[in-house]
Amino acid sequence: MSTTPSAPDSTPRPLSLVAELTHRCPLHCLYCSNPIEMRRSADELTTDEWERVFSAAAALGVLQLSLTGGEPLIRKDLAQLIASGRKAGLYVNMITSGVGLTEERLAELVDAGLEHLQLSFQDLDEASANYIAGTKAHAIKIALAPLIRKFQLAFTVNLVVHRMNLDRLEQFIAMAEELGPDRLEIAHVQYYGWALKNRTKLMATEKQVHASLEIVAKAKERLRGKIKLESVFPDYFGSYPKACVGGWGRQMILIDPVGNALPCHAAAVIPNMEFDNVRAHELGWIWRESSAFRRFRGDAWMPETCKECPRKEVDFGGCRCQAHLLTGDANAIDPVCRYSPSHGLLETLRTAEAVNLPIWRN
Amino acid sequence: MDMNSIPMVVRGCRLHPTQDVLLMPEGTLELNGPSRDVLARVDGNRDVAAIVRDLAQEYEGAEESEISTDVLVLLQDLMQRGVLRFRT
Ligand code: SF4
Repeated sequence: MSTTPSAPDSTPRPLSLVAELTHRCPLHCLYCSNPIEMRRSADELTTDEWERVFSAAAALGVLQLSLTGGEPLIRKDLAQLIASGRKAGLYVNMITSGVGLTEERLAELVDAGLEHLQLSFQDLDEASANYIAGTKAHAIKIALAPLIRKFQLAFTVNLVVHRMNLDRLEQFIAMAEELGPDRLEIAHVQYYGWALKNRTKLMATEKQVHASLEIVAKAKERLRGKIKLESVFPDYFGSYPKACVGGWGRQMILIDPVGNALPCHAAAVIPNMEFDNVRAHELGWIWRESSAFRRFRGDAWMPETCKECPRKEVDFGGCRCQAHLLTGDANAIDPVCRYSPSHGLLETLRTAEAVNLPIWRN
Repeated sequence: MDMNSIPMVVRGCRLHPTQDVLLMPEGTLELNGPSRDVLARVDGNRDVAAIVRDLAQEYEGAEESEISTDVLVLLQDLMQRGVLRFRT
């Protein structure tokens, strides 16, 4: 075990809890970030167990609750879970594919206290969206938007972009606009889980990314005051890493369907990680003391280059999962960083000529 | 925006019942100084002038003109961040 001396009183306060309610899902996306080994539904945390987790999280200082999956709608007790989140004092977000959502169900969820719904789109036309999601979800989502707008609820459309659709980003944004969301999120596929296996198919070319920057900037200007557009630049084309999950063990706690607590949703790809379970431990202990949350918290684990670098306060050393997946060493400098000896690796992963791109921050 | 504009918090944003933060989709905004008191009066009915009058009563001794300058700056900032809109 690495040494991570963090006295309880210097432990940062977590701000968000991601609750993966189930791994069951009607979609089978090429870039699904869920573990390839899905959790069995019989072992899922019960309504009461989640309720306890939500109040423990609120007591630690958490403000935001994101209900996700798999597909959270598959949980029959979803309305109850939303109500428990609100009762604990949390702001309740839900990330859904929309498959299975009816007006009656949505009314029930909003009544229970749902405040924000995020709908993800795989592509702008039926055929390719369904190809990517592996099911006929696209038409369902388009039909859902006007229904969502009937309710007092914040609505985000999330566009997942990658090589196969990035050339049509303009149409993609126009489609999203028609749906009338409050927020529009453009997110590049992150290469974990299934996506890593499909990387050659999905990774955008540098030329595509460059063109998309301009499109996004223009759309932002045009939509100002109407739709809040947020976009996340793909890591692979940057010179510095992002503050992954706001820094390891600094802001976010993810609870998987069976109650394991993870510092980030991909943390299981790192060797020798042990995740403590909310069935066996109190959440506060897990946050402060568990080996998983302490492993890359602070700067004790960092390579010398990072320890001495002022940007460590900005990126907290970047993404550990990425470091492991690309270099084989979870303690290495994130290869996205220009100071990483493995930075050249990214060149070979990129497919087009090099251009200088701006540093992108959230 | 002027004194007769009516600000309202956008859908999906709300004040935390006890802490000085504004909650919104996947995010929070820390509120410092009197900004919580201002936001607590943003209800989609009161115009800027009414909010200022109300605050002037709460903060006895403060100049109304000073309060209105501060309020306008704050509301402008919150609008830029996309958490406020003005009813037209
Ligand atoms: S050296 Fe480390 S801390 Fe500095 S920018 Fe690179 S990854 Fe971040």
